[in-house]
Amino acid sequence: MMFAFEHSDIHSCQSWGESVLESVSSRRPTAALCALQVVAVLFIVFASARAFSQDTPDYYRQNCMNCHTVGGGRLTGPDLKDVGKRREAEWLINFLQNPKAVIESGDAYAVKMVEESRGVVMPIAPGMTRYRAEQLLKLLEAESALEKSQFEGIKISSKPFTEQDRRAGYEYFVGQKRLTNGGASCISCHGMHDISALGGGRLGPDLTRVYERLKGRTSLSAWLMAPATETMQPIFKSHPLEAEEIHVLAAYFEAGAAHSEAEPSVSRITFLLIGLAISAAVIFGFDVIWKGRLHSVRRALVEASSQRRRQ
Amino acid sequence: MAAGRMGGLCGTNFEDPFERNPLTLALSPSRGEGTKQRNKQDPTLMQIRSQVSMVFHLDKCIGCHTCSVACKNVWTDRKGAEYMWWNNVETKPGTGFPTKWEDQEKYKGGFERNDDGSLSIKSTSKKKIIPNIFHNPHMPSMDDYYEPWTYDYQNLFTAKEGSDQPTAGPISMIDGEKIDVQSGPNWDDDLGGSEIYAANDPNLAGLTEQQRLQLSSVERLVFFYLPRICNHCLNPCCVASCPSGALYKRGEDGIVLIDQQKCRAWRSCVAACPYKKTYFNWFTGKSEKCILCFPRLETGQAPACFHSCVGRIRYLGVLLYDADRLEEVAKLPDDELVEGQRSLIMNPHDPAVIAQAKKDGISDGVIEAAQNSPVYKFVMEWKIALPPHIEYRTLPMLFYVPPMSPVQASKPEDTIHHNSNNLFHDIDDSRVPMKFLANLFGGGQEGVVRYALAKQKAVRWHRRAETVGDIDRATADRMLHEANCTREEADAIYKLTALCTYEERFVIPPMHREQAIEMMKEPHEHRAETGFGFVGGQTRGM
Repeated sequence: MMFAFEHSDIHSCQSWGESVLESVSSRRPTAALCALQVVAVLFIVFASARAFSQDTPDYYRQNCMNCHTVGGGRLTGPDLKDVGKRREAEWLINFLQNPKAVIESGDAYAVKMVEESRGVVMPIAPGMTRYRAEQLLKLLEAESALEKSQFEGIKISSKPFTEQDRRAGYEYFVGQKRLTNGGASCISCHGMHDISALGGGRLGPDLTRVYERLKGRTSLSAWLMAPATETMQPIFKSHPLEAEEIHVLAAYFEAGAAHSEAEPSVSRITFLLIGLAISAAVIFGFDVIWKGRLHSVRRALVEASSQRRRQ
Repeated sequence: MAAGRMGGLCGTNFEDPFERNPLTLALSPSRGEGTKQRNKQDPTLMQIRSQVSMVFHLDKCIGCHTCSVACKNVWTDRKGAEYMWWNNVETKPGTGFPTKWEDQEKYKGGFERNDDGSLSIKSTSKKKIIPNIFHNPHMPSMDDYYEPWTYDYQNLFTAKEGSDQPTAGPISMIDGEKIDVQSGPNWDDDLGGSEIYAANDPNLAGLTEQQRLQLSSVERLVFFYLPRICNHCLNPCCVASCPSGALYKRGEDGIVLIDQQKCRAWRSCVAACPYKKTYFNWFTGKSEKCILCFPRLETGQAPACFHSCVGRIRYLGVLLYDADRLEEVAKLPDDELVEGQRSLIMNPHDPAVIAQAKKDGISDGVIEAAQNSPVYKFVMEWKIALPPHIEYRTLPMLFYVPPMSPVQASKPEDTIHHNSNNLFHDIDDSRVPMKFLANLFGGGQEGVVRYALAKQKAVRWHRRAETVGDIDRATADRMLHEANCTREEADAIYKLTALCTYEERFVIPPMHREQAIEMMKEPHEHRAETGFGFVGGQTRGM
């Protein structure tokens, strides 16, 4: 947990550094140079000290494994087996250091990759430097040469879905069963066609047709293995789903795809009005229950006296 | 002077106060001798503790508020404490501060005695605290205290030139905005606004309509002053009510204090104290109360309000009491409470009491201070000092000598002649109705108040016979006799009332706080700071 905090601190420092970089590069070179120096110092202080202290496999585990396998098939990102053979090293190093910039430059391969990962843009890994990128490529080359890489990742199950699986998936979704590693139940943020009463959470999208949206079992399972959105990533990074949980949830989502998305059982206005009515009732109730509370003593005396005088 | 004092105290005329009190006859301390083990079943056993106690002689109070100002300057001249008056002076009849604090139907202070004889706190209980966890329903509002204010003195210098003098208008010390002052801590002083305030004094309960009317008719109206500080009760309701255990009664001297580190802002003490003498500091989020200037006491000085009193109405001294019987006494029926409390207070000259006190860890210095205590004389020997509102059952350890008041002005001439022939009739005909004083000081019982007033009046006649000589000696002696008083006792009362020195008024026991280094700091060094008595201030919250 502690580590997660430090980690995100470094991350935010770095993005701040970048935004400074971007803004200064458009100004005069001397100013940009000064700013660069400052950024470089900050970079060393905040990020590098940490990054260099880890060895490359650990770095990969922490930053890359959520989205990529080596020889395990694609998750959110592509399989990195033999990536060094698909693209030249210089392109990869550039991309690793700033994926967004490469994509925005209109590079055809990069744009295609984004499409394949359904619009998820690869974030800059914390503490990424040219040196770090080179080390990673070396690691990937070595791992690709192995018959079974240590980064092959969880195998996505191909067992057929049973009714029991769908039932278990429902239970995980609504939180009747706790997720083994302590992640939040889906219902906290998502809705589903068969959730009664006020429906599920409204923070994330309704998941009734998610099986369709994510184009089937493999990519859905890959997503669940390492959710890549800004909201879900920090939650599930430290509380990943188990393979069995992914299997039953996929079964549940597959069944849901046959239905149309749930209409909220009450409209927002009604919801608000009901809320206001309940609040009013509670306040009124408090007033009744605590009728004997101490009301202003002095003011009552003054009012009684002025009433007597008027009579 | 010292010899005279001792003569009054333990000379041949000294009467054992327990002899007059049937309640304590069974508890005569001498029977406790030689017993080693404490056993609650045996009433002759004692657990002696010492308590710094006080007497306020209301017949001497001139209502100047010097005590209040001294206290304010030393202790509550701080942010969040502006509205607090650890010491205040009230006019009686009047509603006091906060308004009508004696009305426990509203404020729910103190204990109530259940049908089975047990006591419970009126304002809170284990059952009540959960449903009231976010809101204490019996807290006085700011309006019942008052919104503290100061004056916009800057305006005198910065006002634009105009056709009239600039004024320094009142501004609130809470929000800094201009306010229209509606009330203050002594708003009903000297019967100000009496039809609102004096007419609603809770002590008027039980008075006839005629008596009430007399109190406000021009020829007959009357008032006296009631200075109030924390009573440092033997059975403090504030301590009993605190869910955090932040309040405690100091073992060595009985001073009731709030631990500023432990206080968690429940404010149960504010609601529970029937005298409304704990206050909540809205800035620090902690409750505060009178600390009886313990840093001063520990350095041998009288508390600031005692020291500054121009009327010299205040007396301070140690009382030894039997802690084993506290519970039993607090549960007595209303009409036995005054005598019951007296029965707790032990004779510091009794060898058995002294032996037990030593066994219970009370030092020789404290026992000696108890023997010289002016409070013991007023309360136990002369019985002219009475506890305020003992029916709240907190057993207050501040006692008041009830004030004399003029006889009703129905006889325009020859008043003195008339009175000398019928002394007791006159006391009952005082302008302040006996019932009023009984409600205030006697737990509703007129007898104890009448006794105290009769003795005071007898002392006056005796001294008049001695010094002026226009009173027949035999008449004066008869009055003394009827007031259960001897010439020697009357002289002692006279001396301690009228000619008392600083050392006689304040017999401060040695505190033996030699090891408490944090207490040895100069209290004035920390003036206007919060966190008195501790090194460093406290912070808000946990």
